[in-house]
Formats: sequence, structure tokens, C-alpha cells
Amino acid sequence: MKMRYRYLILAISLLLFMTNAAIAAVNVQCPGVPDRKCVHLSSGDGFVQMADGTVLFIFGFSDVTNVINPQAVLSVGELAATFSAPTIEVSEGDQFYLTLTNVGMKMRPDLFDPHTVHFHGFPNASTIFDGEPMASIAINQGASLTYYYNIVEPGTYLYHCHVEATEHMQMGMLGNLYVHPSQNGKSINGFTKFVYNDGDGSTGYDVEFPLQVGSFDPRFHIANLEIEPLPFAGMKDTYPMFNGRGYPDTVNPGVLPSPLIAENNFKPSQPISSLITATKGQRILLRISSVSTVDFHTVTVLGIPMKVVGKDARMLRGPAPDYRDLSYYTNSLQLGGGETADVILDTTGISPGTYFVYTTNLEHLSNNEEDFGGMMTEIIIN
Amino acid sequence: MKNKNLFLKTRLLLMILSLMVLGVSFSAEGAIDGVISSSNHFTLTAKSGYIDTPEGGHLFTWGYALNNANMQYPGPTLLLKQNDVVTVTLKNELTVPVSIVFPGQPDVAATGGVPGLLTMEAPPGGTVDYMFTASQPGTYTYYSGTMPELQVEMGLVGAIIVRPSTNPSTQAYNHASSAYDREFLYLLTEMDPEIHRKVSEGRMNEVDTTTFFPVNWFINGRSLPDTLLEAPSLLLPSQPYNIVPRMRVGERVLVRMIGGGRDFHPLHLHGNHHKVIARDARLLESTPGTSGADLAEMLFSTTVASGQTTDAIFTWTGENLGWDLYGHSFADPLVSNETFAETTLLSSLSSNAFSTSLTVADASGFPATSSFRAIVWSGTFPGTTREIVRLKRSFGNTFTITGRGLEMIPLTQGNVEASNWPSGSRIAYTDHGRPVPVKLPDQLDLTNGMFWSGSPFLGTAGPLPPGEGGFNPNSGFFFMWHSHSEKELTNNNVFPGGLASMMIVEHPDPLIAPFADNPNITVVP
Ligand SMILES: [Cu+2]
Ligand SMILES: [Cu+2]
Repeated sequence: MKMRYRYLILAISLLLFMTNAAIAAVNVQCPGVPDRKCVHLSSGDGFVQMADGTVLFIFGFSDVTNVINPQAVLSVGELAATFSAPTIEVSEGDQFYLTLTNVGMKMRPDLFDPHTVHFHGFPNASTIFDGEPMASIAINQGASLTYYYNIVEPGTYLYHCHVEATEHMQMGMLGNLYVHPSQNGKSINGFTKFVYNDGDGSTGYDVEFPLQVGSFDPRFHIANLEIEPLPFAGMKDTYPMFNGRGYPDTVNPGVLPSPLIAENNFKPSQPISSLITATKGQRILLRISSVSTVDFHTVTVLGIPMKVVGKDARMLRGPAPDYRDLSYYTNSLQLGGGETADVILDTTGISPGTYFVYTTNLEHLSNNEEDFGGMMTEIIIN
Repeated sequence: MKNKNLFLKTRLLLMILSLMVLGVSFSAEGAIDGVISSSNHFTLTAKSGYIDTPEGGHLFTWGYALNNANMQYPGPTLLLKQNDVVTVTLKNELTVPVSIVFPGQPDVAATGGVPGLLTMEAPPGGTVDYMFTASQPGTYTYYSGTMPELQVEMGLVGAIIVRPSTNPSTQAYNHASSAYDREFLYLLTEMDPEIHRKVSEGRMNEVDTTTFFPVNWFINGRSLPDTLLEAPSLLLPSQPYNIVPRMRVGERVLVRMIGGGRDFHPLHLHGNHHKVIARDARLLESTPGTSGADLAEMLFSTTVASGQTTDAIFTWTGENLGWDLYGHSFADPLVSNETFAETTLLSSLSSNAFSTSLTVADASGFPATSSFRAIVWSGTFPGTTREIVRLKRSFGNTFTITGRGLEMIPLTQGNVEASNWPSGSRIAYTDHGRPVPVKLPDQLDLTNGMFWSGSPFLGTAGPLPPGEGGFNPNSGFFFMWHSHSEKELTNNNVFPGGLASMMIVEHPDPLIAPFADNPNITVVP
């Protein structure tokens, strides 16, 4: 019933859109400067499948860095949104060129929403590259904007679209952004990988895993697809997830199969597994971030002490001159939306086996009506 | 969609126009508004009234009024000095008993009224006196201790600031680690209009605070965009406080956060990290009284928990942007706020040599780990020759050269001449003269925000299409400071709004960005 209305709008808005598109073009900027790092994201819409089988409409990003013909991005990026958004990894010292191409919303041709990237937590940000639309610029459909960031602070960040923040973030325009420290590659206390420039190996780890805390309100996503008024006030998330999936999909080690829906040409859209594996004796780094638009969440690891070594992309050390050690052991970590933490699990002395990571917001151990699953995953120690 | 931006603009424009008609200029200047008593005696009257929310809501509210003034939300911010012996007289004009608790103040003596569960209460028409000594500086709250689950929701909440005995106007605590240039209050609350409707209709027995479902969110009693309006505003007679933090580059801004309602809010500050120096009016220090905030944490979002207060220092220098914040050309003189460290070469650097190291007199202030960009010159800057090098610290006062010549590729402004640098040349860590490393899209491909100056450079306006931008008179950088529970960026189902404010970083030159902090302070006897 609503579909016919949508195609009518499509016809009308295509006419309008064409006049805009005449001046727009995909334009990737990746100049040949030292220490450059370039990523190209498209922004648009797509679908994901929840752990109970429900398919939800999303807005999101897709990594099109390797698309050789830039103009092809407008079609490659169509209905290609993933959740979580593609993880961006850069290194301290990088000059980072991030191009965002707005390919438009295939399922919502009536929308002309611009998009942005907000590099959430970037120190000493400028407004032009901050992505907050009231104070900055946003890129219209069919065109590209290249953001530039001089990467100087290692840590666990996130990125998201800031346009229509409540809507676009609830709809899924949320990704991880990790900055590796310049200390990586040095050998300190048997480690060569570190979360921060600690000088003493205290943030060293062997294996790292993302743990993005997030959740969706299905009614909001359905209303969006069906062009109905969006329930902002009533927003209540009932699909709690790690890395864009509810348990048991979280422990699927690979890319989740595509949602069973013809519109998106069966493109897979949930690439990030939450299955955590390590060999006994290894140190596991969990890069935990919350992108929830509604709730605070507490995360626990059952059976392995959690050492929190970083918070909000800073090593847990006090200010100069003493740099006091503020890291701590815990078995509960609470995060609100837009907060991150670096947690190290030392598996020395931990027996091989399966351990659970889950939210202690127990009502979020569910996939909507299904009273099982939700924000939970497993650690397998071999 | 643009129509939502339009909603904001229309409301702000209407407000500004009406202010102009009334002869009030648009200057949403801040610092912390509040009340000072020369005799340390405050009289607060609990009474009812209405507050306005931007989507057109009109909520029946209970609040603490100053003496016989309007009910206000939140209650008056009490500005105290350490060791003040304070009396707060509460008069009750409501039809229910009411009281005040002062969390964090030891030995509060309450006289008069009738005993309640948490403290003495003023019955309808009655009075209570509360007395305490403000023995410790910091950020506090006060609120009703009578059925607080309802009365705080109804609006009976306020803030207390106790200034330290040492440097009371420039420090939050008695230690230099709490020094600040400007201070702002973030009292965060939320409301469920259903509860207010039932109370206004006298259906008290139908009020169920356990089904509480807030849909309006506030900073200092206002929601975006009202947070940005004049304080006080004739249009918001019961909401006298606004929140428009403003700073110049390099200043230290003290952000006093209070969880005034029952929900937690992740307060995300765009622009930079903030250093949390105190919680619940105690410095985060290892040795109370002497060490200063040596346990301070750097965060980009602070969980503002209900009943908790947090003090943080925010600063913004534009350091390490990777391009010149002021849009200078390379041949322009260096100005003080754009060099982040400057020192003298103790070794020489021959023409175009990639020597392995460069020794300087004093590397403090230069990045310890990341590679950075520096300018080398001799004599008076800019002189006839100067060079940009990319460096990385190898240890102590020694840098490794990671880029020479190469770094000039994106440089299109000014002359760049690599040369022979003798020992004694100057070296500065700066982005001076470096253009924005990317080309910006065609204006037609962009949507411009109302607070966008049209230029990436601080203090410079750029061309914008008619009707876009326009709300940034000094071409400052606006950063949103907001709840990252993004649901809270709405006003009763209308986006945008809610728990959000805009912080403005202004050009360091007061001639370019003239503004002053004019706190609106009421002095009572
Ligand atoms: Cu978006
Ligand atoms: Cu954010």
C-alpha cells in the first residue's frame, strides 16, 4: 500500500534531483603527501537482519575506497549501508583524507538529506571538519566532501553522521574509529602492539576486538521506511546489539549472510563478528564504545577480570607531572552513548573454555520479543 | 531536512526580532548567573507557575522563587563563598508540604516547620529556616526533600556554587589546578509533561512517578533553541538562565555539570577533550588539600549522573589541526597564539640534507610521540628564507627529520625556500601558513548551517548563499555541547531541540571578536 506512494514520490523527486545532480560529482581527494591515509565512504540506506529474523531498514555508510571509477560509487554505494559502519583504522602521525560521497536514499527518494562525518572525540577540532550541521557544512546528494584530519592522539574513537542526529544515528550511521599509537612496532615487555604510548607496555596486547554497544528501535525504522511520522518521543530500543548484531548472530565468526530481501540485491550488511578468540596467556584488547541513542549500558565479562586502561581515547593516567596510574580492575563497565573505553583481558591463569560478555541491563538480553539473545557474545580461550 | 533547520532559525529570528523591538541587543553572554546575599540570607518561595518549551509546550511547574519574584526553573543559583554561614528561609505558597535538602553540606540545621522524612518541611503557608556553613568550595545542588520523586520533577531544584577562599574569582577550588578564565553551568534535567498535566488539573492521586517517561530535556531550565537566547528573556519569564559558553582561543573554561533530574545524561563536548578535575565538590586529588587535581581524567563525554556534580576544564587551542587556523599566508608574521612551542636549534641543518637528527634547546611543548610540522628560520620571522620541516621526537631535545621538501607540496601560499640553517636558528611548532589540505566542494553541493561562517578560518567570514548561515557575527567556531543520548535532542517529539547548547570559540583578538562575560547577578540584602 505504501509502496505505490513511494514510487510516486520517487518519480517526482527524481525530476527534482536531476536538476541538482547536474552540478554534483563524485570527487575523491587523496593527495600525494607524506604519511597520507585515504578512505572513501558512501552514505545511503540499506537493510540489516536482526537475530530474530526481522529485517530493518537503515541509513548508513559503506566503504568504497577500492572502487576504481569514482563515478561508479553512486551505484556501488546504493543500498550498501552496513551496520556497524565500516571500521576506520589510522595511525598516529597519519594525514587522514576521508571522502564522503552522499549517494542518496534508494528507499526514501523523497528525502534529500545531506550527511556528514563527525569524528567523535577528535582533539582541537575545527568546525569545517566537525560534521555538526548547524555549525558546519554537510554534503548534498550526488556529491563528495573530503574531510582532513591530522591524526595526533591514539585511542578508541567513533564516527557518525551528525545530520538530523537523532534520526540518522538511530537509523545506524555509526562506526568505529581507531587510532594506533606510534609506539606500535617497538618491543616492550614482550608486546609490539599497544593501545597508547605508555612507555612501559602497560597497554600492550596480543589480539584486539571491537565491541560496539548499540541498539535499535524497530518501530522507528519501520516508520522511516513507510514514510510515517517518526516516533522520536516514544523511542525505545528493543534490539540491543554488539557490533550490529544480537546474540547468537554475534558469535557468527564471519560476515552475516545478507538480509533476505530483494531490494538490496542480497548485499551482506553486517560484517563485524563479536566472537572473541585468544590463546591462553594472551592479552585481549576490547575496544568498547557505545553508540546507543537512548540508553546507558553496563557490560560485564563473566570469569575474566577487566582492566580498564583507557577512556574516551586517552590512556588512564593523571596529568603531568606525576602521570598517576588511573587504570583499574572491574567487572562492570558502564557507558553512555558517545563514550568509549579500552579494556584489557589478561588470560594468563584463565582456563581454556568459553566465557560470556553481556550487558547487565538484563532486559537487553533479548531480540525484541524473543526473550533470549541481545547484547551478548562469547570469548573462546584455547 | 532543511525545514528542521528552518524551524530553529525561525524561532531564533522571531526571538531576536522581538528583542530588537524591545531595544535589547542580541548578546547571549554568559558566565554563571545567580544570587548573592550580602548577609548570607536567602529567602526562597516555593510557588507554582509555567515554563515554556520550544515546541509550544506550556508546563505547569513548581519552583523556588527568589523572595516574592516569579517562580523560576531551575531555582536561583546561590553564589556562596567558602565558610559563609548561610541561612535559607523557605516559604511555602504551594498546597503541599515542601522542603530543601543540601547534599554535600554537612550539619544543616533546620528550624521551624514540621518534621518530614529527610528534613524539616514547610507546610502550605509555612516557613522553615535552613542553616549551614559552606565549608568546602565546589559545585552543589539543592532540591526538595519532600516527595522528591515528584517535586524535583515538578521543578524544585537548583544549583549552589561555593567559591574558594583562595582566588575566588579565578579558581574553582583552593588549588591552582582548578584555575579558569570563564565558567559555565550545566544543570541537566528532564520532564514528563503527563505528570505536570495531572498535577495542574489537581489529579494528584493519578500521578504515578514510576511510569515516568520524559520527553523534554533541559540545560539550566531551557531546551534548544531557547538555551541560546538572552538571559533573562522577557519571553521566558520563569526560565531566567541560558547557556551559551563562549571563550577565546587558549582560555580555560570551567564547566560545572549537575545531574539535576533522575536520568543519567552522557554530556558530549564537541571541539576537544575536557579534563574532569572534581566530582561532588571535591578535587580529584591523591592527597587532599595539597596535590591538586592529579587524578584528573581526560574525557570527551562525561556521564552526568543524577544527584552528582562534576567540574571539568575545557580548553581549545587549535593545535595540530594540520592547517593554519587563521588562514595566514606563509609570509605573514607569526602571531603568538599560533605557535605551540618555539625554541633554538643547537645543531645545524645543511641545505636539503636529511640529517638524522636535530637538537634543540628546549623541546618541552613539542609533541612527545606524534610527528609534527615546524618552521625553521633565522633572524626575524619571516625574514628572507624559512623552511617547513616535518619532525618527530626521538628522545629528549632531539628530533628526527621525517619530511623535508615533500611537505611543501600542498603549500600554495607564500614562498618556501629550503636553506642552510646554522645552529642558533629558530624553530617553531606551528601550522602557520599551511592551507586547508583539501579543496572544498562547490557551494551548491553543500548545506550550510545557521552558525557556519562560510569559512574554515577563525574570525573570517566566507560567501554563503542567501538565507544560509548568518548567526555567527564574529565568525567564531561553534561546537555543540549536548547529550549523546540523541533521543534527548528533541522537544516532545520535535527534532531538533532538547539537551543541547552551542559553545563558541572566538578569535583571540578582542577587536575581531568583542565580547565580555556579563553574569546577571542579583544581590539581595
Ligand atoms: Cu546522515
Ligand atoms: Cu558524537
